[in-house]
Formats: sequence, C-alpha cells, structure tokens
Amino acid sequence: MTVCPDCDLLLEAQMPHPGEKLVCPRCGCTLLAPVENSVEKTMVLSLTGLILFPPAIFLPLLTLDILGLESSGSIFTSAKAMVASGFVFTGIAVFFTSMVIPFIKLLLLFLVSMQISLGKANGATTLMFKAYKKMDEWGMLEVYMIGILVTIIKLLHMAKIEYDVGFFCFIGLMGATILSSSFLDENLYWESIFSQASASKTACQKAADKGEKAVHPA
Amino acid sequence: MNSKNRTETEVPVTGLEAGLMVCHECKKVVALDDRPLNNCPRCGSPIHPRKPDSVIKSWALVLTSLILLFPANILPIMKVEYMGASEYSTIMDGIIYFFKEGSYGIGIVILVASVLVPVFKILGIMMILVSIHFRIESWLSHKTLMFRFIKFIGRWSMLDIFVIALLTGLVDFGFLTTIAAAPAAPFFCGVVITTMLAAEVFDTRLLWDAGTGKDHDHS
Repeated sequence: MTVCPDCDLLLEAQMPHPGEKLVCPRCGCTLLAPVENSVEKTMVLSLTGLILFPPAIFLPLLTLDILGLESSGSIFTSAKAMVASGFVFTGIAVFFTSMVIPFIKLLLLFLVSMQISLGKANGATTLMFKAYKKMDEWGMLEVYMIGILVTIIKLLHMAKIEYDVGFFCFIGLMGATILSSSFLDENLYWESIFSQASASKTACQKAADKGEKAVHPA
Repeated sequence: MNSKNRTETEVPVTGLEAGLMVCHECKKVVALDDRPLNNCPRCGSPIHPRKPDSVIKSWALVLTSLILLFPANILPIMKVEYMGASEYSTIMDGIIYFFKEGSYGIGIVILVASVLVPVFKILGIMMILVSIHFRIESWLSHKTLMFRFIKFIGRWSMLDIFVIALLTGLVDFGFLTTIAAAPAAPFFCGVVITTMLAAEVFDTRLLWDAGTGKDHDHS
C-alpha cells in the first residue's frame, strides 16, 4: 500500500525495477523511479562537479575585444560587479542561485552518497539530505548556462568574443550537476540513510547494555 | 451532503480516508493513528496530513508577486552607457530590439522566459486557488499537470537577471561603454522568488480534496 504525494490516491503497487517508473494513474505523479547503482553514479558526478567548481566560477568566462580594447570576466566577478553597482539584493540573489547553493548542493550530495556507500549514514546524514532537497530548485546553473548563450548572442555584433577556460569548465559543471541529480534515487537514499542510522543507533544501545552488564555481572 | 454519505459507506479512495499520510519531505507513508506523532519517523520533518495553511500562504505570495510584476515590467531593467550617454531599457525594449535585429530565436527565448513565464505562473496559481475556493470538480488532473509545469518553469525567469549580471561583469570598457542593472531588477527578482515560494507552499492534494468533495478540515 502506498499513497500518491500529489493527489493522495491510495495505491496498491509493486516496487518498480531500475529504469521503470511508478506513476500515479489519477494525477500522473512519478512516485518511484529507481536507478541502477544510483549511489555510485551520484557520488562520482558530484565529485566531478566539485572539482570543476572553482575554475568554472573564478576563471575568466569570456574575453571581449572592442577595437583592440579587452575586457573579461568570470561568474564571480559578474555577481560582484552587480553588488558593486548598487544592486545589493539582485546581486546577492545571483550569488546564491549561481554559486553558493550549487556548491553546497554538490558538497552535500557528495558527503551523503559517500556516507551511504560506506554504510555510515547517521542523524547528520538525514539533516544533510533534507537540506539538499530544500535547496534543490534554488540552484540555477542550467538557467545561467542559457544566460551565457543569450549574452554571447547579444554581444556578437559589437565585440570579438574569445572563449576562456571558465566557459568550458562551466559547461562541465552544469552537466555534472544535472546528471548527479537525475541519477539520484531519492527513495533509495532515504531508505539507506534510515536503515543505517537506526542500525548504528541500536548498535550503540547494545554496546551500552553490554557495558552495563559488565559493570553489574550479577 | 451527498458526498459525505458516500465517503462513509464506500471503501477508502484517498490516503487520508485509509488513515495514512505522506511526509512532505521524504514521501514516507505514515499511519495517522500513530498520533501524537509530530515528526516523520524516517526523516524527522514535521508531519501533517496536508501542508499547513497552504492556500492562504499561496494567496499571499502570489498576490505579492502580482504587485511586484508591475514595477518589474514598467521600470527600466538595464542601463547602457555609451560614450558618456546613458540609455535605459525595459524588458520589452530588450525583446523588441532582438526582433528588429532579426534575432527571432533569441527574442522568443527572452519573451517566453521574462514575460510569458511570470505572467503564466501568477495566473496559473491564482486559477488553481480560485478553483479550490469554488470546489470546481473538472479538469483536476490537467490542473495538477499545469501546477507541475509551473513548478518546473519557475526558475527559468531568472534568465534575464543572469544576462544583466554577465553583461555588467563583461562589458566594462570605462568611458567607451559600460552596462549596469536598472531599478526594475530587484522587483523582477522578487517576482521570481515569490512565485517560486508560492508554488513551494502549495499542496496539490487540496485541489483533489476540493474537487472530490473531501475538503473537510484536517489541520
């Protein structure tokens, strides 16, 4: 027995195989979508994203050339320039949606995946995964990617554009982020975290009980 | 009246009737009779049969975004300085510019992301809230699908803000030409954030409760 989270329909369903999906017949909500080797794939991709993050954000993205004058900037300097020009709220929104949240998301996903694959998930893992889910839609790297393309088209006729290292790293970062979240099998993650966390809790309790018995052999 | 009798006699259709509720965060199915159970046993989040005060919160946020939508579209959003002269442009000016240039593809992308998506999001959420108020029974699965679409497109309106941030950072040629944001930018950001939050706090199950005559009080 399960219940659709979108329309509250009571369902009798089997666990789908990897690659298959369990879809609510009334409202079309995807209830379960298991992925094969989800933890390993997600861990590797989030690590890739973390490695690509610093160059993608801090290295120059594009260099513009107008009549021999050159100007270049990175994703970081763009958000900084926005804050510096007096648009603090907008600049901070850009900072968070394009840098802070995508980074924290990758970091949390990597840590959670690693703890699950080591079998050492605990209460902190639960909190980290919950934080990841809360932030999920506020990381907007793919929107930023389209923003870069629009910017390039906007500038194409007035300047010569050179693509720098940051541009290619950013494409990789965006790809790794999208793939890491598409390989994420949420239900598997919650179940693994829960069973590992409660196993470690009972193990602690048993150890504590044994300790007590050792002290009071009678 | 009629529906009340029906629900009492027939087999349970919804989770709530069967005494089950779904955790908002991790989607775990929890039995209602475990109450007083305030937190999900799997992820520890506060648990309710429906998201608390969902409709009123959604109304507040969607009306806020409707108010912000006006300054966001009427005020200029970008300032281009060229040889000491400043030129301000609104969102619509930017789109018209692309159409005049002949870049129809990019013009359409910006038109959709910056104008159509915010308006569609606000109208769509308002339509769903009104249909809950009047307990409209038709098009339930279509409205759910529309809501899912609204949630999916929500983030894409940030596009214009990112473009302006990039232009501010990249186009910095001193006296020759510089680009900066203009007063509409924070309002536009506000529209994106409030519509995303309005979708976040909304509980689609209320649509089904109202549409199938099961909208009794469940706090």
